[in-house]
Parts: sequence; C-alpha cells; structure tokens
Amino acid sequence: MRSFILTGPGRLVVTILAVLLLTSGFFIAIGRDPFSLLWLIARSAVGDGYALTETLVRTTPILLCALATALPARIGLITVGAEGQLYFGALIGTGFVLANLNGTGPWLFFAMLAAAMLAAGAWAAGAALLKSHLGVNETIVTLLTNYVAALLVTWVVYGSWKNPASQGWPATAEFPAAFKPFTFFDSRVHVGLWIAVALALMLHVLLTRTRWGLTLDILRSNPRAGIAAGLRWRRNVVLTMALGGMLAGLAGILETASIQGRLQANISAGAGFSGFLVAWLARNHCLRIVPMSLLVGALLASGDGLQMLANLPSSISLVVQGLLFVGVLLAGGGLRRLERGHG
Amino acid sequence: MKFRNPQKESTVKLHHLLASAAATLALTFGAATAQTIGYIYVGPEKDYGYNTSHDLGRQFVEKNVAGTRTLHVENIPETAEVERVMERMIKSGASIVFATSYGYLDYAIALGKKYPKVSFMHAGGLKLGDNVGTYWANSDDAIYLAGMAAGSVTKSGKLGFIAAFPIPQVVRSINAFTLGAQAVNPNATTTVVWTGGWLDPAKEAEASNSLIDAGVDVIGEQVDSPITIAQTAEKRGIHVIGKDVDVSKFAPKAVLTGASWNWGPAMVKVVNEIKGGKWKPSHIRGDLKDGTVVLDPFGPAVTEPVRKTILAKKDDILKDKFEVWSGPLVAQDGKELLAAGKPMSMEMLESMDFFVKGVVGSVK
Amino acid sequence: MDSLEIVFSGFLISALRSATPLLLALLGECLGQRTGIINLGTEGQMLIGAMAGYGATAAFGNPWLGLAAGAGAGLSLASVHATLAIGARANQFASGLAVWMLGSGLSAYFGAAFVGRKIASFDSVDAGAVATWPIVGSLVSGVTPTVLIALLLVPVIGIWMYRTRTGLRWRAVGESPDSARAAGVSPAWVQVQAVLAGGLLSGLGGAALSVDYTRTWAEGMSAGRGLVAVGLVIVARWNPWWTLPAALLFGGAEALSLRLQAANTPISAHLLHTLPYVVSLVVLTLTYVRARASGAPAGLTAVMDR
Repeated sequence: MRSFILTGPGRLVVTILAVLLLTSGFFIAIGRDPFSLLWLIARSAVGDGYALTETLVRTTPILLCALATALPARIGLITVGAEGQLYFGALIGTGFVLANLNGTGPWLFFAMLAAAMLAAGAWAAGAALLKSHLGVNETIVTLLTNYVAALLVTWVVYGSWKNPASQGWPATAEFPAAFKPFTFFDSRVHVGLWIAVALALMLHVLLTRTRWGLTLDILRSNPRAGIAAGLRWRRNVVLTMALGGMLAGLAGILETASIQGRLQANISAGAGFSGFLVAWLARNHCLRIVPMSLLVGALLASGDGLQMLANLPSSISLVVQGLLFVGVLLAGGGLRRLERGHG
Repeated sequence: MKFRNPQKESTVKLHHLLASAAATLALTFGAATAQTIGYIYVGPEKDYGYNTSHDLGRQFVEKNVAGTRTLHVENIPETAEVERVMERMIKSGASIVFATSYGYLDYAIALGKKYPKVSFMHAGGLKLGDNVGTYWANSDDAIYLAGMAAGSVTKSGKLGFIAAFPIPQVVRSINAFTLGAQAVNPNATTTVVWTGGWLDPAKEAEASNSLIDAGVDVIGEQVDSPITIAQTAEKRGIHVIGKDVDVSKFAPKAVLTGASWNWGPAMVKVVNEIKGGKWKPSHIRGDLKDGTVVLDPFGPAVTEPVRKTILAKKDDILKDKFEVWSGPLVAQDGKELLAAGKPMSMEMLESMDFFVKGVVGSVK
Repeated sequence: MDSLEIVFSGFLISALRSATPLLLALLGECLGQRTGIINLGTEGQMLIGAMAGYGATAAFGNPWLGLAAGAGAGLSLASVHATLAIGARANQFASGLAVWMLGSGLSAYFGAAFVGRKIASFDSVDAGAVATWPIVGSLVSGVTPTVLIALLLVPVIGIWMYRTRTGLRWRAVGESPDSARAAGVSPAWVQVQAVLAGGLLSGLGGAALSVDYTRTWAEGMSAGRGLVAVGLVIVARWNPWWTLPAALLFGGAEALSLRLQAANTPISAHLLHTLPYVVSLVVLTLTYVRARASGAPAGLTAVMDR
C-alpha cells in the first residue's frame, strides 16, 4: 500500500483526496451538501462548451504569470511580482496603442506586444537589480511594487489617458481592430492561449535541455560553488526576472487588448497571485504548469456558478482556493513523512 | 451526525443535508418555469450601502411579482468579467438581467446584441440598445436639500466630501451638495478627498479625520457604505450627510439627513412591463418625486426653522418650481458654465466632469 | 487655515492611529521571523481578527471582548501556518499564501452576517487637563486603548527579547537551530510558539482596525497591511524597538497622502496613494545599502536568500 502511495499516480491520488476531504469538510461545516457542491463546481467549470471556453479564457493569464514566477524560481528567487509586471506591461502596451490609433499594418499587433513585454521586463529587472547588487529581498520588493504598478494604471486611466468619449468613465479609448488578436469559434478564447502553451514548452526545453538551464540549477542549489566555477549569478538573476516579467507583461497586454478591449483599473483579476499558486502546485516545472493552470482557472471560473446556483457568497472561491493550497501542502508533508519513515 | 452551522445557529442533521442536496440539485437542473431575473453587484451585497440598496430592490421584486426567482452574484468588477457572469446567468435561464453598476454598460450592450430575447436593465448608463434600458434615480435634488442642511448647520463654513472616484455621478453629488449649502450660506466651501476605492474603511476613517482636523464640520460622502464616515463623525462630534441607505442608527447625533435609494417599486414596474410585452428600452430616471429617492428623516441638529426652509424647497422641487441644475452656474475657476435661467442638457449632466465654484479639489 | 497647518495639525496622532493595527501585526511578524519563520499569511490573520473582533463586539456589546476574540481568531489561523510550515515542513511562502487566502475567504464569508451592525466601541482616553496643552493636547486626546496597548507592547517585547532568557533562546533558534538544539531547546516548539504569538498579535491588530479605528467590518478591509508588515520587519531590522518608527513611517505616509488631498495639493490622488509603498521601498533599500542586511537571523536568511 505504502509503495503505491509513494509512486507518481499514488501521490496524485493522495493529494486529490486531501483536497476533497478538506473542501467537503468545509461545506459540511457550513451546512451544505458537499457532493452537490463539488458536482456544481465541476459543471460550472467544464460542464458545457461555454463553461469550457470561459475556463480557457481564465487560464491564459494565469499560465503566463505562473511561468513568470517559475522562471526566477529556477535560480532560487521567490517573486510575487507577476501582478505588478502584468499591470505595467498593460500600461506601456496601451500607451503604444494610443500613440498609434490610426496606424495600419499587421506589424502593429506585434509591436504592441513587444512594447508591453519590454516594459514589464524592465519593471522586473528593476527589482532584480536591487537583489543582485544590494541583496534586497525580492519577495518584499515585488510585493510593494505590485501596488505601485496598479496605482499607476489607475492614475493614467483617471487622468491623462481617460477617453473623453467614455462620458467620464475611467477607461482609455477602445483598441482598434488592428490591435486585437485572433479569436476562436466566436468565443473569447484568443490566440494568446496557444502562445502561452508554446512558451511553456519552449521554456521547458530551455530549462532542462540546455546549458543555461543547468547553470540556473547549479546557481540555485549551490550558489557558492557555481560562482566559484565562473557562473554569473547576478546576470542570471536579472535575466530570469526580466524574462519572467516579459511573460507577465504579455499576459497583461493580451488581457487588455483581447478581453477588455481597453485599459482600465482592475484588469488582472488576481492572475498574478493565482499564477504564484499554480507555480507552487507545479513545483516550478513548466510542463506541469499547464494542467495546473487549467485546474485553478477552472476553479475560479466555477465561482460564479456557486454564487448563482448555490446561493453562496463570492468569498467561497477564495476559501476553496485556500483549501486547495492547504490540502496540497498537507498531502506533500504527509507524503514526505511517509518517505522518511521508509528510510 | 450533527454539525454546527454558525450562520444559522442550528444543528445540522443528516436529513438536513439530504434536503439541501435535493434543493441544490433542483436549483441547478430546475426548469425555468419561474421567470428568472439576474442581479449583478460590483461590491458585497451586504455592504449596507449602494449594493445593499439594489439587493433590497431584488428582494422587493421577488416578493411583489408572482412567479419570479432571482439569481444574484456579488463582487464582480467592472471588467470583462461581468460579461462572462451575465452570459452564465442567461444560460442558467435568466430572461432579465439587472446590471447594477455604472461600468457594466458596454458589456450589457454587447451582450444585448448577442441575446436579443433577454432584457437588460443597466444602472445609470447613457446608452440604449434594442433590448437594453437604463434606470437611475436623480439623487441630486435630495443631495441639494441635504446640502442646505449642511450649509445651515456648519459653523466654520467648511464642508467636506469623501468619495471613491471622480465619475460623473459622484461629481454631480459634490456639486449639488455645494450648491445647496451655498443657497443658505454663500461662502460655504466643500473640500474633496478621494479614497481611491469604493470600500476602504481605514482610508475613509483617515480621510474623515484629516478633513475634521482641517476645520471641516459637516461631511458628505459617496462611497460604497456610509457607516465608517458616519461613525467617525459621531465620535468627533461633527455632522454628516448620509447616502444610499439611512445610517442615522449608526450616528444618531451626527446625521443631519441623507439621500437614500428605493429601487424596488421602479424595478417591479419594469419587470411587469417586460412580462406584459409592453416594455420599450428607455432611460428611466426616478427621483424625489416618484419616491425612488428618499430624503432621510432629519437629525436632532437640524432645527425647526431650517427644516421648514428645506421642506419648502423640497415642495418647490416636487412642484417643478425649482431646478437644481439651472443657471447661473460658475465653475471652479470663475468661468460661467450656465447662464441665468438656462437648464442643463442631459449630456452635460450625465457626463459632468467639472466642479462648481466653492469646491476645493480636483476632478482628476 | 493654510495648507501647512492642514497637513500638520493632528498629523502625529493621525499617523499613530493609522499605524496601530500595522504596528501590532509588525510586532507579531517580528517574533516569527526572529525564530526563522516568515508568514505571508499575516494579512489573512489580520482579516480574520478584524472579523471576529467586530462580530464579538456586536454580539456581546463589549469591545474588550472583541479584541480578545480577534486575537484568538488570529491565533487559530496561525496554527494552520504552524502546522504546514513547521509540522509538514512545507515551503513557508506557499503555506503563508494559503493561510492568506483562507483568512480572506473565511473572514468575508462569515463576516457578511455582521455588516451593518452598530457596535459599542472605545472612547478616547480621558486626558483631563493635558488635553488643553498645545500640540501634545491633540496628540493625547486622540489616543484610544488600542493605541496604548500597541505602544506599551513595543518596550515589553523589546525588553523581553533582549533581556530575558526565553528571549535569548528564541533568538538562538533563529540564529542557529542546531546550536539551540544542542543547548536543549527544541527549535520546532519555539517556532510554533512564535508563529502562534504572531497570529495573536496580528489578530489583535485586525480587531483594533475594525473595533476601534473604523468601527466597521468590510471584506478585505486591511488592504494589504499584513503583507506590508512582513516587509517592514526587515526595515525594522528584526528589532522590536524599531517596529514603532517603521509602522509610523508607513502610517504617516498614508495619513500624509490623504491630508495632502485635504489641503488641495495639485498632485493626483492616485499618485499620492503610492506614497506609503514607495516610502517603504526606499527605506527598505537604504537598509540594505547601509548594512547589507546584517542583523537578520541566520536561520531566516537561509530561508529567504537562497
């Protein structure tokens, strides 16, 4: 029994059981039937074509932000900055659009993406430089700068970039069609999803099959030896953070251009923090991040189903996410104990 | 098997669980024999403020229109998220959707094109669709009257206004408040502080204290819930004007009066029209006259002669003898906005982005 | 009153009031980080403390009971972090985030029943004749019991940490768990205690926010203070004595941004709202520049600067 539990599939089963037990326990404690609620979550996430597309729409930014978190983690950095990088990328990308409202040509879309990605990369690099050269803790820095980035977006959206045609409502002008990505099947799923998955694959290859990936691994597990062997720690700190930032910036501008159609406050819907959760669930493995993003995306998408059809308040989504996290961590700890007991 | 349910303070037994299971399943798979109406709120429906006022409307509808069941979702931000939620509601059977926050407008219109058989009612918008109507209530009259109370009670002549964001509805309130105060106290000024969020009690408390320390002795507000500001005012011995919901029970000495919503009857009217097939999308604008806006009862600080003056003005408004938004109106910088006797256009009114003279603060 | 007067009159008491909930959470997190455990769930603990504190005060009519309930709720939630991070040896950041999510969700869920209730709260401390003194007068008459508690805890915890034997043991656990173990101290047990104490204090801070400062409950009302507390511990150099200036720095920046608006400064309100975060960031960076983060408990460094 024990040997089964400790295998790959076994661990998965144990973890799933732990999560189901915790969530059911909570549902029972609030006087509701766990089975129908869990079933409702499943149906609201993937129960029909519409639910499925909505899950996919949710997943895209979460996937990118998870990658943005996982990449620096490979060198041992713990960053929660995806949220802020998302906002800053959206900000600069929008600036590009506003400066080119009457432009034409297919290059515009890609230039907008590039502008957003470079800006977000620079934003992340700033935090990275504080770490690489001054040793300032990156978790706290990124935490604080998240708030600043979100406030900067609010500032422009209420001030200089507010669309005069929106009757005082704080949002920028609508993005012209030239800047909107291709969508599928009359749904809101856009090409960004496939870009994100492709990036996950690319990163996976980069991190596991190239020398650079190996460099990062060494610097993470034994920085002193790595530096002594001539590996560049500082440069890679900035590089991984900047690349990660670019991914989150991509998420930001895609959300803005495709889903929202214009820049306004609160576009992230917490994708940065969900991304962090996903990266942790997937233990920073790029391939595993894909299914994990789907899982968390599905969970979040099911939140309205719970509100509407089971008459639960919106906080239920947060609670379930928290329980998911706790369940996974508990299961992990328990499995580790089991392993150690084994000798 | 017994479990405590803190929300309902009763023990839950097995058959309770089975019953709720059945009910949940019934809800999810239930056929829409009842007419389903959906409500979407931008904040918590139990905020005892703006969102609660719409939720009370929902409950009124459920009680007063036969054969309706309602779906309600809270905390939906004014982003594309709401389009998703509305669509989900429609797929769950909703034939009418109440989008209760200003920023939902474009999404409601877009979705209206996609689902021509569903009726949408949006709160406060200025655009219509073939199946999208808007509803709002003009609270400016009531706030003007409340401003009169403020202007009468203030000793320092300095009023304050705490609000979330400079959107037109808020800007109108600030201007109406100031105009009302200036009607009884021509030198009254209103200092504006933006909290940057619809619901942030700590900032609201701090903003109140800052204003009070700066000499303000009556505060008006437009945030999600007036409770924090009212209680801070009460604690520091100054006065306050309520909004959205009557908060006098939280601050019995501080509250002078307020402007509260009463959406229920207007909503019932629309629902019945839709049911009867007689509905045509329009901008429904309730006001003090039809009872969609209510001037709250006066607090103890408002003396008898002041009450008389205010009620007389209210009477004038009800009889169309007085219009808050008519000239002469002067902007903050002294420029004339509206000549004497001229009424304001609907466009200027609903996209107001300027402050009148006497308001201290920026619309940005 | 001219602009300068508006900004500075009552500013200190304003900063103090704004800083109190943060200060309590800061002290709590300081204890935890000193023993080598970082708790990102402080925000969730504050929220659950605010909710429980408000609810208890509304139910029993006694704000002191409310403070106690808030502290208790914070402690209970912290036990989740202790179980995960210490018991299950899970990654501390992950565990902290999980606790944050739980705290946010649970407080919003159960707190919905409490919105719109009026509560009996604290009166300001009766300052008597002192209230009429210039400058000090307005400072003293704005003080409420929670402000006093927080101010008193600073020296209490400071003295405890540096002058008592248990304080020494806790610091030893943070510096080197192995040598502590060799000296007969169980690091895990000390860490658990520290996390629980942190939970108690942040829960108390949350209750101070809802029961005393705002007298309201609203979802997410701590607005990130718990997270900021985690960062400010570094600014305070893990020293309880420095938590007061650190908290005042943040609280002061916040109070300042609102006062600048009240004084009609031409800077956009949104930019002003970034002030607390920017100031904290600058001070944080300077802290590192000047002392290269020396002073951090070595055990914590192992966790954070991998």
